[in-house]
Amino acid sequence: MVKNRIVKDRLAQGVMFSLTIVAILFVVVMAIGLYLKSSPVLEGRSLFSLLTSSVWKPMKGEFGFLPFIVGTLWVTFLAILISFPISFLTAIYLTEYARPVVRKFVFPALDILAALPSVIYGVWGMLVIVPWISNHVAPHFMEFSSGYTVLAAGIVLGVMVIPLLVSLFIEVFTSVPAELREASLALGATRWQTTKKVVLRKTLAGVLAAVVLAISRAMGETIAVLMVCGCVIGIPTNILESCYPIPALIANNYGEMLSMPLYESALMFAALILFAVVLIFNLLSRIILYRIESREE
Amino acid sequence: MAIEVQNLNVHIKGIHILKNLNLTIPEKQITCVIGPSGCGKSTLLRTLNRLIDSTEGVRLEGKVLVDGTDIIGSGPEITELRRKIGLVSQRPCPLPMSIFDNVAYGCRINKMYKRHRDLENAVQENLRAVGLWDEVRGRVRTPAARLSIGQQQRLCLARSLAVEPQYILADEATSALDPISSKTVEDLFVSLKKDYTIIMVTHTLRQALRIADNVVFMYLGEVIEAGPAQEVFNSPQQELTQKYLSGVFS
Repeated sequence: MVKNRIVKDRLAQGVMFSLTIVAILFVVVMAIGLYLKSSPVLEGRSLFSLLTSSVWKPMKGEFGFLPFIVGTLWVTFLAILISFPISFLTAIYLTEYARPVVRKFVFPALDILAALPSVIYGVWGMLVIVPWISNHVAPHFMEFSSGYTVLAAGIVLGVMVIPLLVSLFIEVFTSVPAELREASLALGATRWQTTKKVVLRKTLAGVLAAVVLAISRAMGETIAVLMVCGCVIGIPTNILESCYPIPALIANNYGEMLSMPLYESALMFAALILFAVVLIFNLLSRIILYRIESREE
Repeated sequence: MAIEVQNLNVHIKGIHILKNLNLTIPEKQITCVIGPSGCGKSTLLRTLNRLIDSTEGVRLEGKVLVDGTDIIGSGPEITELRRKIGLVSQRPCPLPMSIFDNVAYGCRINKMYKRHRDLENAVQENLRAVGLWDEVRGRVRTPAARLSIGQQQRLCLARSLAVEPQYILADEATSALDPISSKTVEDLFVSLKKDYTIIMVTHTLRQALRIADNVVFMYLGEVIEAGPAQEVFNSPQQELTQKYLSGVFS
């Protein structure tokens, strides 16, 4: 009998270990697959020119990914710029100031926001944000804008990211033990002082990790952005111009151009770029996190 | 009379935790609060510096006079009250910063010193007061979390002393420590009572016997007996106190 339960334990461990490996392998396999698929477009073209050229003429076999890369970065940056302060202060309010009753109502609301399908955010963007930019914002700066802009995509994406960021921040802040706050309060500190000097200091690494996760998520968001970004190929020089982020490029064109092997390969390369950018972001954040943690211990 | 508790009632989520407490805590002495787990010792301490405010569903009634000012209700400035009443908790809780910054924290929060030189002196002085200076000099800029538990607890005491309180609340301040550190901290409290009024919750009767000038025995949210340590320990008036002291329950 004793043997039996030990065997079960071993077996469970083995199965779970294999599944973990499978999960990690998915990522590796995906990366390899993307690389193989995109190799035709890499033949005869230097990586540098693919990444820095802005000429996009699939018919002539010219692929410059710069507009899409810049578009992605612009939109993501703007989205984080909008969502970070809102989410950050909301999470601080909810964990440090709000009474439990308030939390009881706000948490489900955030969950609902987080669970809304992104196409709904896209529709909201088209119906509300795009006309607002076209009619009220853009006229101050230029003669005409359709409203389908970097700004619209940034706002929609920013709003989408808020519930994710808030719940990540809340998780990070509630990991700070109550005694630590009380130690600070007992010395005559106000809540705000305690938050600034103890809670945020303790959670700096966690806050950073949350932001990186949100950035990764924002970079890959497709539908909502595609619906409001304008999908015009070109490097946007300001946020009131249209843009064309990588996910939108892939979603719009994949399947349509399968008759042109090189085009398909180029789209796979776009996916690979996205993959690489997210990977680099995560690696960088790991390094920074490690630095912060080793400084504190 | 330093702290005067009058008809204090504390309810948490409808449960009556402290029942009509009346106490006088004399100045510059050690008052030990003893009693079995769950009798309200910690709640009493947390009421004295109003940390209890962060507990959900708490309701306070009655009066607690600290230097003649009632601290119950929304009138008094809570941060000022807390600065006046230092707290040493059960488990040492160093803030996530260096040894120096831990001690300097309260001084900075309360803007006590204009010149950095003065702040440095104050930090050194308070680290000396808890016997930590010789152990940490030369590494006061390293994270406080690297200290041993016993050292951390003394650091927390130094941190409390640095804001120049009049009172020190200690909530089982030695229970998480090894015997030697425990002895060090205990001796510290004895040496501090000439300058501070100390209120100490303790679970170890022996500790109370060793250091208490006054004893408050609590049971199920009520004060059963309170008075000078000699009297309470040698000739307890209440049956419950006798039983507790003789170890019938603990």
